[in-house]
This record gives sequence, C-alpha cells and structure tokens, in this order.
Amino acid sequence: MSAQLWVSVVQIGCFFGMVALGYYLVLEGADLFNFALGPFAMFSGLSASWLMAEQGWPLGLAAVLGIVIAAALAVLTEVALVRPIDARTDGGELPSLIAVVAVLFAVEQLAGTLFGRQLRPGRSWLPDTSLDLGPATVDGQTLILIGCTLVSFTGVWLWMRRSKYGRILRAVGGNREAARTLGMPVGRVRLVAFALAGLIVGLAGQLFSAKAGVSFQSGFGWALSGFLALVIGGTGSVWAPLVGGLLLALAQTLVPYYLGSASLDYAVLAIAILFFALRPNGLFVRKVRV
Amino acid sequence: MTGTVLLEGTGLGKSYGGVRAVDGVSLRLSAGEVLGLIGPNGAGKTTLVDLLDGAQPADQGTLSIRGRKLTGPPSRRARSGLARTFQHPHLALDLTVRENILLGAAAPALAGVGGLLRGLAAGAVRPAGKRFDAVVRQVAQALELGDLGRRCGDLTLGEQRLVEVARALAQRPSVLLLDEPFAGADAAGITAIADAVRAVRAEGCGIILVDHNVDVVASLVDRILLLRTGTVVFDGDPAECMASAEMQDVYFGTGGENVVA
Amino acid sequence: MNAVSTTRKAPPGLPGWARSAETGRVLGTLALTLGVIAWAGGDLFRQDLAFLGATYALLALGMYLPFNLAGTLSLAYSAYVAIGGYAVGLVGTKTGWPLPVAYLLGALASAALAVVLGFATRRLSGFYLAAVTMLFGVAFQSFLLDAKDITGGAVGIGSIRPLTFFGGELDRHGFIVLTLLIVWLVAVAIDRIRRSPFGVTLQSSRDVPAAVEAAGVGVPALRLVALGVGAAIASLGGGLFTTANQTIGPDTFTLSLVMLAIFMPLLGGQGSAWGAVLGAVLVVELTFNLQIFERSGSLIFGVAVLAVLLIAPRGILGYTGQAARFLRERLTRTSRTPTEGAGR
Repeated sequence: MSAQLWVSVVQIGCFFGMVALGYYLVLEGADLFNFALGPFAMFSGLSASWLMAEQGWPLGLAAVLGIVIAAALAVLTEVALVRPIDARTDGGELPSLIAVVAVLFAVEQLAGTLFGRQLRPGRSWLPDTSLDLGPATVDGQTLILIGCTLVSFTGVWLWMRRSKYGRILRAVGGNREAARTLGMPVGRVRLVAFALAGLIVGLAGQLFSAKAGVSFQSGFGWALSGFLALVIGGTGSVWAPLVGGLLLALAQTLVPYYLGSASLDYAVLAIAILFFALRPNGLFVRKVRV
Repeated sequence: MTGTVLLEGTGLGKSYGGVRAVDGVSLRLSAGEVLGLIGPNGAGKTTLVDLLDGAQPADQGTLSIRGRKLTGPPSRRARSGLARTFQHPHLALDLTVRENILLGAAAPALAGVGGLLRGLAAGAVRPAGKRFDAVVRQVAQALELGDLGRRCGDLTLGEQRLVEVARALAQRPSVLLLDEPFAGADAAGITAIADAVRAVRAEGCGIILVDHNVDVVASLVDRILLLRTGTVVFDGDPAECMASAEMQDVYFGTGGENVVA
Repeated sequence: MNAVSTTRKAPPGLPGWARSAETGRVLGTLALTLGVIAWAGGDLFRQDLAFLGATYALLALGMYLPFNLAGTLSLAYSAYVAIGGYAVGLVGTKTGWPLPVAYLLGALASAALAVVLGFATRRLSGFYLAAVTMLFGVAFQSFLLDAKDITGGAVGIGSIRPLTFFGGELDRHGFIVLTLLIVWLVAVAIDRIRRSPFGVTLQSSRDVPAAVEAAGVGVPALRLVALGVGAAIASLGGGLFTTANQTIGPDTFTLSLVMLAIFMPLLGGQGSAWGAVLGAVLVVELTFNLQIFERSGSLIFGVAVLAVLLIAPRGILGYTGQAARFLRERLTRTSRTPTEGAGR
C-alpha cells in the first residue's frame, strides 16, 4: 500500500473519530445513539459551502456560522424533541431513536431544499501549505483536520476530568438513577453533551467536506460511519472513538484493496453480530440493564 | 384432591454479588392449600417467587411440580400449570380490562411456535377470540370487575391488582403465586380477591400468597412460611406462627427496624 | 340506533354491533380500494403511483406486527423487499416456473432471514436488533452490487416476463386490480390480527414482556414469528412491484426506504393497520408526486413526521377516530336531551 494511502487513512480516520466522539458524548449523557449527528455535520459543511459560493461570504465567517448552526440543531433536537418524547414515553428506547431518525430525515431534506440537491465542494483552510514527508505529501487541510481532532479529543478528555459538568457527565453515564437521586443536574448535563457533540461534528463536517465535497445526502453515510467507529472502538475511554475511527478507516481502505468491494460490508456485519451476540457486556456496558 | 403434593422445592438459593437473597429454602405446597409467605422487606419473598416461576434462574436447588422437574423460562413453567401476579402490576395500560384478561385465557392456546402460527391464522379469521369469552367473563365476575371495556391505564392501583389476579386465574393454573395482591386494593377488592382465592382452593389449586399484611394472610392461609434474610425461620400453623418466638423476633426483635405495615 | 350503541365500548359477547362495525370497516376499505383502482385507470403515471403506494403499503404492513405492535424494530426491510423483487427477477428470467412461485420463495427466504437475525440478537435490548439489521441492509446492498452472476450487479435484472393468469397474460390494469386487492386483503387480515388474542399478546409483549412470559407465551418465539411474518409480507410487496416494472436493480429498494416505512404508520396512526396504509399513500404523494413538481414534498413530509411525533402521537387515523367519537357523542347527547326534558 502506498504511503499516500496511509495519509488518507489517517484523514478519514480522524473524521470518523470526531463523529464517533459526538456519539460518545450523547451516549454518556443521554443513553442514546444520536444518528442525527451525521446530518448535523453535513448541514455545517453544506451551509458554509453555500454561503461562500452563493453569497460570497469569507471562509472564516461561513465556517463559524456552519459550526454554530450544527450545535444549535443539536440543542434544538434535545430540547424540542428528545426531552418531551422521553418524558411522554417514560424514557423508552425506541421512541427517542425514532425521533432522532426523524430529525435525520428532516435535516437532510431541509438542507436539500435550502442549498440545492447537488454536490458542493468544500474549501481548504490552508490551500497553500503542505508537508512533504518524502514518500507522501500531507496537504494543509489534512494537517488542520488532524490538529483539530487532537485538540477536540484532548479538550473533551480534560473537560471530563477537570470541569464540574464533565465529571457529572461521567457519573451520569455510569449510573443515571443514582446521579438523579443524588440531585445532580442530569437534564442540564444532557443538554451540554448534545451541544458539545453538535460543535464537534460541525467542525468535523467543515473540515471533511473540503476533501470529497458535501451534498444533502452525505449525512446518512457519515452517521453510519461514526456509529460503526464507536461500535469498533467501544466506550471504555474518551479516546476509544478515535481508535475505532482509525481502525474503521484502515479497514475501509485495506479490505476492498485485498478482498473486493463488498467484503468490507460483510466483515462489518459479521463483526457486529459477533460483538453483539457474544459480548453484549463488552462494548456497551451501559446499555445493558441491571 | 387435598393432600397430594403439587409443588416441591429443595435447597433453593440465589445470590446477588455476594448477598444471598434466598439461601437454601425448601418448601412444599399441596393441592387445595394456601401457603402464606411472610417476612419483612428484603427477606427474599419476591425473589423466591421469581425462582419458583422462573423469572430469575436459581443458583442452587431443585423444583418439581407433581413430581416432574420444573425448569426453564416462565413460559414453559406456565404451561406446567403455574401462574403468578407481580408485586407491581404488569398490565398493558393501553389495552382494555378484557384484553388484559384475554392474555391469560388465550396464552395456553398460543404455546409454542405451532400455537403461535395457529393463533396468527385464527386471528385473521376470527379476531374477536370469542372462544375465550366464557373464561374471561367468569373470572371477571368472580373479581367483580364491572365494565371490561375500560383502559387499564385509567384504573386505580387497586383495580389493576384485581385485573392482574383475574389474568392469572384465567390461565386456569394448578399452582397460583400471588405477590402482594392486596397492596393498594380497597376493602371490597380485598374481599373479592380473598373470595376468589378460596374458590380456586376449593377446586384443588395450590396457592402461595406473599404479603406484608399479616392479618389478611393469617385469616386466609393454611400454613405460613416465615422468611428472614433469605432463610425459612418458621414453617407451620398460622396461629402458632403468630405466637412463635421467631415471629416476635423477626418483626419486633432487637435487630429489626422493620415494622409491619 | 347505531349511533347510540357505538358510543359504548363492547362488553364481551355482544356480537351485534361489533359484527356490523367490522362489516362496515371491511366493505368501506374495499370501496376505497376499488376507488383507487378506478382512479388509476389507464393513466400510466397514476398506475406507477398506485404500484409504488401498494409496495410501500405492504412494506409498512410488514413492519406493523413486529414494530408497531410488538415494539421490535428491524431495519433490514429494504433487504426483504429486494429479496422479493430479485426472486421474481430470477424466477422470471432463469426458470419457466410461474411467477407466484417466486412470491412464495421470496417470502420464505425473507422470513427465514428475519428469524435468523432476530435469533442472533434475541437476548439483547431492541436497539441491537435495529443495529444488526441496519448493517445487514448495508451489506445486502453491497451483495447485490457484488454478486454479478446472480443479481446482475449494478445493472440488475431486466426484461422479466409478465404474470400470466389462467393461460393469458395479465395486462397492466389487470395487475393493478390484483395488487391493490392483495394490499386490501393483507391490511384487513393484519388489522383483524391486531384485535385478536394473538395481537393482544403481541401488544402486551411490548409493554409487559414479563407478564406475557408468565402467562405461558415465550416472548422470544413470539417476536420471531412476528418478524418472520412481517418480512414475508414486505417481500411480497417487492415481488409485486418488480412484476409490474419487469425490472429490478440494486438501487430500487435502499435503506432510506426503511426510514420512510418507519414513519408511515406514525403519520397515518398506529392504532390500526389502516394507519400504515394511509401513511404509505401520504408518503407516495409527498416524497414522489409532490417532490417531482414542487421539489419540497420530502421536506413537508419530514416536518410532518416531526410534528406528529411531538404533538399528535396517535397519527391521522387516531385523531379522526377520536373526532368521530366525540361528534357522535355530542349528537346522541343533543338528540337525547329533548326526550328527557319531555319525560319530566
């Protein structure tokens, strides 16, 4: 495998890892797989691309607005939808899942209606920089993506250790009922987890859309990849989503290269069935009821 | 009928992470007998019922019904003639009283994959399930349930208890496990449940009755099993039990902060 | 007379009005079905809409027993529909067997697959079934593209021979009649199963599985039966659609179709199997018909789903039914009052 391919693995892996980090935060805070995170990332990238191309906005402003929109969508999802539905259905698992799938669909269609249904190119943040490593070249955008990934993960890691809300989030993920009984602000921590996840995937969507472009339908695939990265990495540590993202990117690059294009999906299915059927307590300890 | 042993358990045990919730309990239930299971909170009463019914697997011990081994999930044990109610009513709140009782009445016909497929096909042809109506009506009358078209979510806790007992009776069990059926029921409800228990006892059913309420239990049961921290501390005549030193110790003793409700 | 008696819920063993309401429901929906057949007529575009609606309806009806009643969400339905379609494609091009054999084979294969996937996740919470079946859907789509010898790869299978009926070829209009009547029949059957002891047990298994177990019905087996039957119905939808179009490809039925199917009963109303059918019709109208002309139908649909989730959890049929009951009660009350006054 050529060295350039490895650069691509790292790039895709960092992106998957960031989306998986978003899943991780929401899972810790709300016991929910927020599949709408993929479309939030798409909305961030697509809105910025549209603002730059159609409205002539400068890159920085468009990017910041895109990220803020993604975070706002995440907060809105929690406040206006997941929370009331959770309250009505007594915290049932399926109703909230269906609610986020509905958000996924609605956000996708909203983006398609607002920004058009064609693929739009993203713009690199550092178009003139590149790092020459001899056998491979790392372009500026990839450098930025790797940097932002490391900053995001380190930031979340520090946040969950040092800050009040971060610590509560860890406690909530460990045992929701106990946390509630102890009078911890479970609801507010949930909201922070949603918002933070929105910010992170918004940033990820910005950075990744410069690689392959972004269309209103990109979000679904991104949501799936982020979910898989989390399945592979597990929820044992803050860094697990990044490991999962890199492994998934590696598999996505290697397996088709050696075994043909469809075998990757077979492998993923087999791994998932194995994991779920044989080790239900391994990866998702917190989803299994006592 | 009276006298033949229906249910027999020996050395039943269950631990949760080192705590022995049920510790070597042996019991025997005869046809036409009401066995009272009493003891303070945390004595292991509900856990014991779960072990009998299969809702939780036992760590140790054996269990037999009419001399045959009783194992497997609750559904298989129900087919051997076991029925139970739950400490907190387990009713489908969106369904009507009739439909909740129908679950008990129709379940034997839906046993196994063959029964399920037959039930599915029969449902498309005869949705009303009228062949179960006689059973449903009979148990509903016995428990004075009134309008069967009400949503269970609209009932009081006491009424929900009645529906749950009715559902268990509709299974036509030979062994009936009642887990605190009187909690939350009003005076009329308590009388109705007590009468229904006496009626099925007269038909040869064996009943295990769990309750905090020692007075109601004492007036209804033939024998009492007193549990404390997972072990049987008394097994015998209700009147003797009430007067026994063990009873005094369990409920009013030095170590216990538990007070009978 | 009728209005008075329908305001009260039926006590058991009062068959009179129950039977007449059931007859009314069956005949009323049959009349609507015939109306759709007449509406489609000879117009090709309308016929396309009708076939799409029928396929969506069978898909939603397939999900109704396991998902809406038993609360088990499988996302492999795109695969089941595709299996039904490819079964028709393979039987119709590689064998001389009559096409109904393909419907049967597709249904059996889908049901077996649904049971296997459900069995693999039987001890886990419902989320895992959703996750595994979703990944299966993705893998199956790759398989359709990859296994070129069987599925024709990206091109799919074309020029499938039409259905013959008593020796003669069934024309497109005749096939519309057949397809819509099948949808009607399945919907009637599913709605009757909903109210039957089996349906009651299924609904109880969603809310209080422990009670269903304790009553003597094994919940895992119950769920597997519902999943299998649902997959078979969805597969039939794919088979009929493929027969109508005489072609099938890997992009005909995708994972996003399942997303739509989840929302159909929500929109139409989960209280009755007919809610799934109504939802399917609305989805075809919004995401297909309106989308072509207005380009915003899908957005309207997405917003409608969110609105239903938030403020109208019983769906359109649920609220129509409630409004009808309310009106009937008002009418009977006002018609009774003067009589009571005269009596005094």
